[in-house]
Amino acid sequence: MRTGQRDLRLYAPIYVIFIVIYLLSCFLEANFFTWNNNVNLFTRITPLVFASMAQTLVILTGGIDLSIGSIIGLTNVLAASLPYPESGLNVVLWFLVPALAGLALGLINGLIITGGGFSPLIVTLATGAIWKGLSLFIMPVPGGEVSLAVARTATGKLGAVPMPLLIFLAGALACHRLLTRTRFGRSIYALGGNETLAYESGIACGRVKIWVYGTAGLLAALAGMFLSARMFSGDPLAGEPYILNSIAVAVIAGTSLAGGRGGVAGIIGGAYVFLLINNILNLLAISSFYQYVAKGLILIIALAITSSGGEISPAAWMRRLLKPAGAPSGGVDGPG
Amino acid sequence: MDRAEGRGLKGMKRVLLKNITLLLFLLNALLFGVGELISPGFLSADHVTAVLRTASFLGIVSIGQTLTILTAGIDLSVGPLVTMGNVFACMFINGVDGNTLWALAAVILIGLLFGAANGLGVSVTKISPLVMTLAIGSLVTGITLIVSQGAPKGLASPSLRFIGVGSLWGRIPVIIIVWAGLSLLFVLLLRSTSFGRKVYHLGANQRAAHLSGIRVNRTLILAYALSGASATLTGALMAGYTQTAFLGIGNEYILWSITAVVIGGTSLSGGRGGYLGTVAGAILLVLIESLLTIVRMPEAGRRIATGLMILIMISVYFRSKNRKP
Repeated sequence: MRTGQRDLRLYAPIYVIFIVIYLLSCFLEANFFTWNNNVNLFTRITPLVFASMAQTLVILTGGIDLSIGSIIGLTNVLAASLPYPESGLNVVLWFLVPALAGLALGLINGLIITGGGFSPLIVTLATGAIWKGLSLFIMPVPGGEVSLAVARTATGKLGAVPMPLLIFLAGALACHRLLTRTRFGRSIYALGGNETLAYESGIACGRVKIWVYGTAGLLAALAGMFLSARMFSGDPLAGEPYILNSIAVAVIAGTSLAGGRGGVAGIIGGAYVFLLINNILNLLAISSFYQYVAKGLILIIALAITSSGGEISPAAWMRRLLKPAGAPSGGVDGPG
Repeated sequence: MDRAEGRGLKGMKRVLLKNITLLLFLLNALLFGVGELISPGFLSADHVTAVLRTASFLGIVSIGQTLTILTAGIDLSVGPLVTMGNVFACMFINGVDGNTLWALAAVILIGLLFGAANGLGVSVTKISPLVMTLAIGSLVTGITLIVSQGAPKGLASPSLRFIGVGSLWGRIPVIIIVWAGLSLLFVLLLRSTSFGRKVYHLGANQRAAHLSGIRVNRTLILAYALSGASATLTGALMAGYTQTAFLGIGNEYILWSITAVVIGGTSLSGGRGGYLGTVAGAILLVLIESLLTIVRMPEAGRRIATGLMILIMISVYFRSKNRKP
């Protein structure tokens, strides 16, 4: 399980792509490498980093969470509907209520999935619809307010360091340590790798899974809270883009959808690549329509690399295609 | 089987739990009845055909979704492909009847190609279907936007419009007949061809299918290609309904088609289920949406109800699975 986290080959490609795109942006546009633009990027990347970490935890257990977007939306709306007047108690409430709500929603996901033995895909699809209904019930149209003090703290600076940078670095580090240094983290890898084996070696798989979905809910809530602090208001549909983007970032950051392999170490690079694609297309004055094509192509290339274990071999793919009796996943074949 | 026959209520419950499709069709009939009680006219021929007309578009997309889910995969690119079919059909046809036939063929071909790309990624490079179809979906959205420049042009022709909104023999909408025809073809494809049997086999156990000599890659590529074609065809048929193209038209179909398939009793782990359940599932979804609209449920309530319905259906399905001898 440690190899899963420490394997540099998993994370190296995404950081190489990140550095290339970053340098390219610097050459293309003089204003890109300014402090202001970078602070702006930190602010824009933070929710995506948290959403992708939430998705990664779930994917590591071999599941998937399609309700992340709705949890982000609901906590975003909650954070913007809390009482506005500035007082110590309200600030505490602002931090506690949405975070606990996210944790609770995630735990409910986990309870339904493990309790019924259902597919995570369809359960989170259903609960996602329910959470979205709840947020539309609380706030049918975007609006609400966020305490200025909170908003300024979350998007401002601590000394000379921008808060968003600190927030996502601390979040990523905490998540990384959770996965590598705790029993809970090791259990996640064990049960994602082989649930039967994990169960037989004494891991309480059900409980671990429930808490994984709970933690994912909490991380999604942090993304939602940060979004509301950034926008000074709430939007029930603010989380929608994060459903598919979080899966895409988790996967290009080296986490296998089969479970048990990957981690959060590549997330920051992955999220940056996603964000910078738009940025670079803007700088090149290419129509934003091409961003979808670019995202799709980058995903496919990154996936082709990771799913073939680091080697790209079109020749082997051709052989597999033309071989009379196909090649199932399961490692029967060895190309060549 | 023999134990389940007869025996009053208990026996009936067993039969129903064993036969999800029958249960769903009865549930549909019940909901039509409830609707009639709440709002007289719900059971009128006009309203019933309106519900079925809406369900037919969902049903045709769900042909592909059923097929990919039966192979233990999933197709998230159906939404973008529906939009692409819609936009391209209007662009190719441009209101001229003579263009309709080749435009439909071209749109189906485009769907086959992108679907085959999905299948290639899933089978040959072994990318997970979830993200492979997600990536192709993003690609398709981009191409649709680039080709249409963000402002789709063109118009459906009178003949396509006849398919979309016209009726035969006075009462029966053409689109429902098209759906019934495609359903029949698809059920035959699944039940009576070697391709159908291969789909079930490889969905149940890909390794075993491979070892028993099934050409897994070809079957997967064909399944995804057909899914792409059913999505773009739906988009084109919807052009007959909406007259002009609309860029967001396919968005809801990703989740709706998966929902229809799953509440129709097809297992997401592959190899089990069939299309008749999906047909009932599609009708059920549209019917509930229509009922909730009639009782003036706001969007928030409609979403919550849809979510709860999925959870209830999967737990019912789970019970029936456990009860199989």
